[in-house]
Amino acid sequence: MRGQGFAFIAPLLVLMVVAFNLPIIYMLGLAFWDKGRGFTLEHYEGLLDAPVYLRVLGNTLRISLIATIANVAIGYPLAHWMRGLSQRARLIAIALVVLPFWVSILVRTYAWIVVLGNGGLVNRSLQWLGLTDAPVQFLYNELGVTIGMANVLLPFLVLPLFATMIRIDDRLLQAAASLGAPPRTIFWKVYFPLTLPALAAGTLLVFILCLGFYVTPAVLGGGRVPMISNLLDTLINQIPRWEQASAISTILLIVALVIFAGYRRLDRKAST
Amino acid sequence: MRRRTFVKAAAASLPSFGTLSAARAQSKEIRMIESGGLSGESIQVGYIDPLKAKTGINVVRESPSSLGKLRALVESGQGGTTLFELGSGIVLQAKKLGLIEKLDWAAINPAPMFPEAKNEYGFGYQYFSTIMAWRKGAKEPQNFVEFFDTKAFPGKRTLPDYPHYCLPFALQAAGVPIDKLFPLDVDLAFKKLNEIKKDVAVWWKAGAQPPQLMKDNEVQYAICWSGRVVGDPAFGLSFAGGKADLSYIAIVKGSKPEDKVAANKLYYEMSLAENQAKAAQVISYTGPSPDLDALLPKDKLWQYPTSKQNKAIQYFENAEWWAENGEAVNKKWEAFKLNL
Repeated sequence: MRGQGFAFIAPLLVLMVVAFNLPIIYMLGLAFWDKGRGFTLEHYEGLLDAPVYLRVLGNTLRISLIATIANVAIGYPLAHWMRGLSQRARLIAIALVVLPFWVSILVRTYAWIVVLGNGGLVNRSLQWLGLTDAPVQFLYNELGVTIGMANVLLPFLVLPLFATMIRIDDRLLQAAASLGAPPRTIFWKVYFPLTLPALAAGTLLVFILCLGFYVTPAVLGGGRVPMISNLLDTLINQIPRWEQASAISTILLIVALVIFAGYRRLDRKAST
Repeated sequence: MRRRTFVKAAAASLPSFGTLSAARAQSKEIRMIESGGLSGESIQVGYIDPLKAKTGINVVRESPSSLGKLRALVESGQGGTTLFELGSGIVLQAKKLGLIEKLDWAAINPAPMFPEAKNEYGFGYQYFSTIMAWRKGAKEPQNFVEFFDTKAFPGKRTLPDYPHYCLPFALQAAGVPIDKLFPLDVDLAFKKLNEIKKDVAVWWKAGAQPPQLMKDNEVQYAICWSGRVVGDPAFGLSFAGGKADLSYIAIVKGSKPEDKVAANKLYYEMSLAENQAKAAQVISYTGPSPDLDALLPKDKLWQYPTSKQNKAIQYFENAEWWAENGEAVNKKWEAFKLNL
């Protein structure tokens, strides 16, 4: 029985290994093999000599963290609010959250230029209301990149969080209330701990996705927000130093894997 | 679309296998990777269409062209692309990496060309300039000292996100005359860039960005490619202190002989002044023929990179210096970008 199941997935497995895993291993191996000279660590040593590449990685981690926190700050209350809606309103709310999923990331990102630009909707409204005299610089800085990333990634946090929240039994909250707990205590002692595993798993998922963002920083960062994907693009396409890019990719992959291991542990907790 | 052209290309190259031994065997269709946009269209109108009319040979264009793509083409064993567009500095690099082939100038037998365009490894086909431009209504700078003087000329700037464009302009802002730019004083250039970086709203990567940013009033001043802004009434511009550069088309290492024969025919078309004049109507960049100026419309001479009044006030890219120092400067550039 087991063997039969394996036969069914074998073609897919072969496809994955040949079309996906082998090229990745080849790319990662580029950093270790030099044509004609064999094994080398010089590309990793190069990273230490020029810490600028590692600093870009650090910058990427920092911006990913900010975007993830922004995501949680918006996503958690949103999911909680959706839980309290009527069945019909919930459907509409979910549709609105998922809707951006169906639009190309490029279009979504450019839409922010129309909304947040110097002559954009927000700035014109602010000036019309007399709140500001000069346009507020939303774009072409870390703020713009954070807004764009939070927008793209919001569904990844809201959907699993919402799925967990609607499974929470209302009677638990009623029991706490009947024992005299004020709403704040009910939230922090009963409700929040029940959502915590899903929150942690969703947060890590969003964070890992942030690490690989390319389009949003390229369009909304105005070249002022160096992130690792954009650096890799330069190293691969323009310079082209694939060996160096490979060394950086390996480090990025290891960082993502470590975080993913944490995600798996939390995810298992969340689903039990 | 892609599959259809592939099948067509395969069908076209099949008969030529049989005639490989024939001395004048040539492909009916070859492929080229160029930089895209209006520039690509100018190649189509100026050179590919006349070639097709005369010989029946077609050239299929793809874009954009980057050195990484060329390396991937060659290292993966030649994907059937014969011609590849490269910047002047990149030609040297590609030659060092063994990614392009020597041209057979005797077989091309071109019409008269400027000497720098007749490179051993590339056909210099298009002069283009990188210049200062501004949104109409902004105070007009005369030179790069004024362009970078953000007190006297207030407004946001957009500069290229490439050190080999920015550094020489920053040096001009520090008072270095255009005939003394090379060898570049890298530290002085970064010092100047650090002074003005807070007024640079966007560091652009794609040539379409600066005109759009100026139209949207996100920035008022730009350093950008001349062909993107000349002739548009929304912008003012000046060639003073600008960078004149030459784009090359090279032959990918390991190309089939019959494809190279066809490529040489395209090169010949590219050397003809009347074809270059057609290309210049699509985008305001000029070809390498000394006879071209006479064929260009008199009232538009001011917008071309190589017309006399413009050539004299620009500096020319120094590809050798960049081939030697490019990598070290790139690392400094990344460090500079981290501290914006």
